[in-house]
Amino acid sequence: MTTPRVARRRAGDNPALLGLVGILAFAALLEVLPRAGVLPAEYLPPTSRIVSALLDEFGRGSFWQAVGGTITTWLLGLVIAVVAGIVLGIVIGSVPALRLATASTVEFLRPIPSVALLPLAVVLFSAPIRSILLLVVYASFWPVLIQVLHGVTDIDPVARETALSYRLDRWRRARYLVWPTTLPYVMTGIRLAASVALVLTITGELLIGGTKGIGERIAVAQSSITVPSMYALIVVSGLIGVLANVATRRAERLVLAWHPAVRREFPL
Amino acid sequence: MLRTRFIALLAVTALAATTSACGSDDSSDAAPATGGADKVKVGVIPIVDVAPIYLGKAKGFFTKQNVDLSLEQAQGGAAIVPAVVSGQYQFGFSNVVSLMIGQSKNVPIKAVANGNNATADAAKDFSGLLVKDSAITRPKDLEGKTVASNTLKNIVDTSVKDLVRKDGGDPSKVKFVEIAFPDMAAALDANRVQAIFVVEPFLTSAKAKGWKQIGSFAAVSPSLQVAAYFTSQQLLGEKADLVKRFSAAMKESLAYADAHPDEVRQIVTTYTTIKAEAAAAMTLPKFAPDMDKTSLDTMSNLLVQEGLLAAPADTAKLFQ
Repeated sequence: MTTPRVARRRAGDNPALLGLVGILAFAALLEVLPRAGVLPAEYLPPTSRIVSALLDEFGRGSFWQAVGGTITTWLLGLVIAVVAGIVLGIVIGSVPALRLATASTVEFLRPIPSVALLPLAVVLFSAPIRSILLLVVYASFWPVLIQVLHGVTDIDPVARETALSYRLDRWRRARYLVWPTTLPYVMTGIRLAASVALVLTITGELLIGGTKGIGERIAVAQSSITVPSMYALIVVSGLIGVLANVATRRAERLVLAWHPAVRREFPL
Repeated sequence: MLRTRFIALLAVTALAATTSACGSDDSSDAAPATGGADKVKVGVIPIVDVAPIYLGKAKGFFTKQNVDLSLEQAQGGAAIVPAVVSGQYQFGFSNVVSLMIGQSKNVPIKAVANGNNATADAAKDFSGLLVKDSAITRPKDLEGKTVASNTLKNIVDTSVKDLVRKDGGDPSKVKFVEIAFPDMAAALDANRVQAIFVVEPFLTSAKAKGWKQIGSFAAVSPSLQVAAYFTSQQLLGEKADLVKRFSAAMKESLAYADAHPDEVRQIVTTYTTIKAEAAAAMTLPKFAPDMDKTSLDTMSNLLVQEGLLAAPADTAKLFQ
């Protein structure tokens, strides 16, 4: 009993510690390379300068407004995409004819890069925030839809037969059979969509602008030749991404606490 | 304005008519505020060129004209033009070439105030054509070379071609690649291009590397009008008085900015992250209160020569 617990506490096995070591090594490398002249410090400043620019940013009100703006746009886009993906996924997935009829269209539309729709987004919606949302929703809708489509067809045949022999009506079948089966897929879809949505939110802000956000701030820093601030803001977008991932994983474990896969899962 | 990335200008202009239909519900944003002042949104790009409007707002020139100004930062004309045409923004900032091309494609816009100009001195402008290789000493030497332009088929490459032609060279032998202003210095450093055309604040920092200047907007035409503030034909028809008041406030702002360069340098640091030292070292554009008809016609003729316009722009109609 004690032996495995001791083993678990060894540094080599601690994922959090290993992660920290990885980040520190990366930061150290980025500090050394520009200073040694391997990378041009003018275009890629050493870590210490980026960190000091980051601390400067933390002290500015407009920075926090931008963070708030990015998170708002991101969440808004994500919610729209998730709701649309779940509803359409369940409807399409439950009707075989509909599924067959839409399969090729979905496969055609899905690989289209959202950014390629930028000109369309800009002319379709004159309000910048809506153009950005179109990009975000388009990109993050597909992972959810595809997951839900898979989830709906993954119903255990025995469970389905059982539900039928108990004469559960359509609504009860959806509630007690389809939804619990689909939920783990939905959560995976949300996790995938969350990072895609964040990337597209910042891309949209960067290329379209017109709304307070980290992407717009990156563009301003870029056109003001404040390179360290630009990288500091890029670091911030990475941090938001990490937080988003942690949050969705937490939510996943919370929502799927009953699920065998989660119950067996090794905690982070 | 020069950050104007005309991502698919064609798509924008071709669909502009559609946009005005889709977005017409947004035009209520232009409704007068309770205080009687007209609420006006202006789409600008966060660069040095728009300093006068920020300065004019701070100085109360717009309030005086009963205009309640709010400045919306967008990343380029590609986003600003549709927003103005649909009434999301009442005014916008764009370079003059994009406006002329827009007009030729029947985008319902009209320039109502000057934006900024090149200086009178070709050697000391806010823009510059820079080279690293000491063998290149004049625009003609760019034949067979690659030049970085922030957008293709727009004001920068058209200007460079004109400089090459005026120097006795063949502009068709110059190759252009699209590189955003912030990335140009790195491209020249890495020898991916042989010349770059940058504007402030990039010009000062690039010149500090010892790179040589062989041209500028001012070399195309002294005081060349580079950009303008424009509105939609719709707003012009419905609220001619508001447009007139905006133009008047803009004119006052431009004159004030031109006379107070120190205040321009100061205000630039408020809406960009340009450092105060860099702002102090920059060469500022000229801010003429009125549009420069002569240079607009010059540019229009150059566009015809380059095949970007089928016929000279009706500058009298497009620029008030």
